[in-house]
Amino acid sequence: MRRIQAVRHLVLLPYILVVLYPLYFVLISSFKGNSEIVLKPWNLPEKIDFFNYVNALSNNNIGRYFFNSLYVTTVSTTAGILLSLGIAFAVTRMRFPQLSRLVYGVLLLSLLIPPVSLLIPLYIMIKDFGLYNTPMALIVPYTAFGIPISVFIIAAFLKSIPRELEEAGIVDGLSVYGLLGRIVFPLTTPTLVTVFILNFMGHWNEYIMANLFLSSQSLRTLPVAVVSFMDKFNMNYGALCASVVISSAPVIAVYAILQRKIIEGVAAGSLKG
Amino acid sequence: MEKVMRNRLAYAILVIPALTLYITFYVAPLFSSLRYSVTSWNGINEAAFTGLDNFIGAFRDEKFLVSLKNNIYFVLFSVFVQIPFILFVSIVISGARRFLDFYKTTVFLPSVLSTAIVSIVWKFIYHPDAGLINQILRAVGLESWAIGWLGDERFAFLAILFANAWQWTGFYVVLVLAAIFGIPREMQEAAEIDGAVGWRKARYLTIPLIRPVILVTMLLSITGAMKALDIVLIMTAGGPFGSSEVMATYMYKQAYSMSKFGYANAISIIIFLFTCVLTLIFHLLTRRSEEEV
Repeated sequence: MRRIQAVRHLVLLPYILVVLYPLYFVLISSFKGNSEIVLKPWNLPEKIDFFNYVNALSNNNIGRYFFNSLYVTTVSTTAGILLSLGIAFAVTRMRFPQLSRLVYGVLLLSLLIPPVSLLIPLYIMIKDFGLYNTPMALIVPYTAFGIPISVFIIAAFLKSIPRELEEAGIVDGLSVYGLLGRIVFPLTTPTLVTVFILNFMGHWNEYIMANLFLSSQSLRTLPVAVVSFMDKFNMNYGALCASVVISSAPVIAVYAILQRKIIEGVAAGSLKG
Repeated sequence: MEKVMRNRLAYAILVIPALTLYITFYVAPLFSSLRYSVTSWNGINEAAFTGLDNFIGAFRDEKFLVSLKNNIYFVLFSVFVQIPFILFVSIVISGARRFLDFYKTTVFLPSVLSTAIVSIVWKFIYHPDAGLINQILRAVGLESWAIGWLGDERFAFLAILFANAWQWTGFYVVLVLAAIFGIPREMQEAAEIDGAVGWRKARYLTIPLIRPVILVTMLLSITGAMKALDIVLIMTAGGPFGSSEVMATYMYKQAYSMSKFGYANAISIIIFLFTCVLTLIFHLLTRRSEEEV
């Protein structure tokens, strides 16, 4: 048995190396100059020198892009969750079974429509609505795109709450809103946190719409900004690696802290949706 | 009790905002795409109705056909290379007694990164001089194999497929692992008493029992393959010579570089229909095999 266990780890080793080594390679390269990257690719950096980071931070407004990403992502994630909680509650708990089936059916359409095929009409729409090149150009579609999956996950959880809980609330004289705010919301918080993290990561990482729906440099989000450094730092591999590290560090930090919740959320979302 | 939960106004207030937003920005664009797809439109002048010309034109457009073929390769690669690999890795990990959490956390890591970042990282790794791949080849004395991977027509698209697989394999492994750990212990023990260990156990117990999640994984990776846009755009922009173009990048260029919005919308619709057809075929195939079982 022990030998089989050892074989397992041995089989997994190459895969784990392929997963981790590229990230490690980018990290060590971010402390090197071009010639050191090319001549001593395997070595640890000769000295820990943050010149690439200083270069990436001082010549490029990373702080500004970070704030843009944070703003757009937080607003759309929060709005999406509140809307999703409301509709999920109405569909699963309120007594309009036929109407609710229809609403749920319309939401299921999202599984068939690849978002990529909506890009061009969405671009035209954003322009027609006068949202082009404003933060709203991202906030509104991000909110809308987060709704179906959030509703599926929240609804799956709400279905598992026994009826007695809301009955007790109603006997105590709560209205629908009171029920939602005082009983359902606190009960659902753990699920909402999971949904929040999933949406937040998705919006934080979004590139195509952020690239298309904004034209001002000052409104750019992090992924768009880093891709633009790629052209700018064409010949400066170290600086490019540093900007990759800077922009991924927050996501990796969040992942390191919350990995269990994130992984569980993904599993729940995909299997129930 | 009944009265509170039958409050029509409250139902409307809870449902309408979310549904309106979703329909306006998710469902309606599909219909407006359909409308523009039968026109010739440069985004400025009035759109002129041209019937099915855009669609007929697409299937005569050699560049579009290359992008369609690449999407098909993408799907085939996902289903026949990635999925078996995912199953293999998941089954091996699921039996490990130690480092289970380490494996789960590590393999999932690339899928929390932005696709834009993943594209940049891999562009650096494929770089002719500084890149990891060529550094390895030189280190083991295969100097002559070292090429600019993304600049070579034969390898560019394959290189993208690999980078995409690097990003998403762990995501699916985690899904499959969740299903494997959902198999009741008693069933596992019963199978082991019956002498099913190693690959026999995988074949006769694990794989049949996690069939539903395998199907979800396949469906997700098929639709994922149809969605691919940013990774191609950033790594090669469809090049060299259009060899790594996919339908989505071709659509993107027709709209934003060529200002052919009518044609671009027709390609959107083709992507949508293609995804629907694949999903449908997939459902028919899996339903039939379910009836056989």
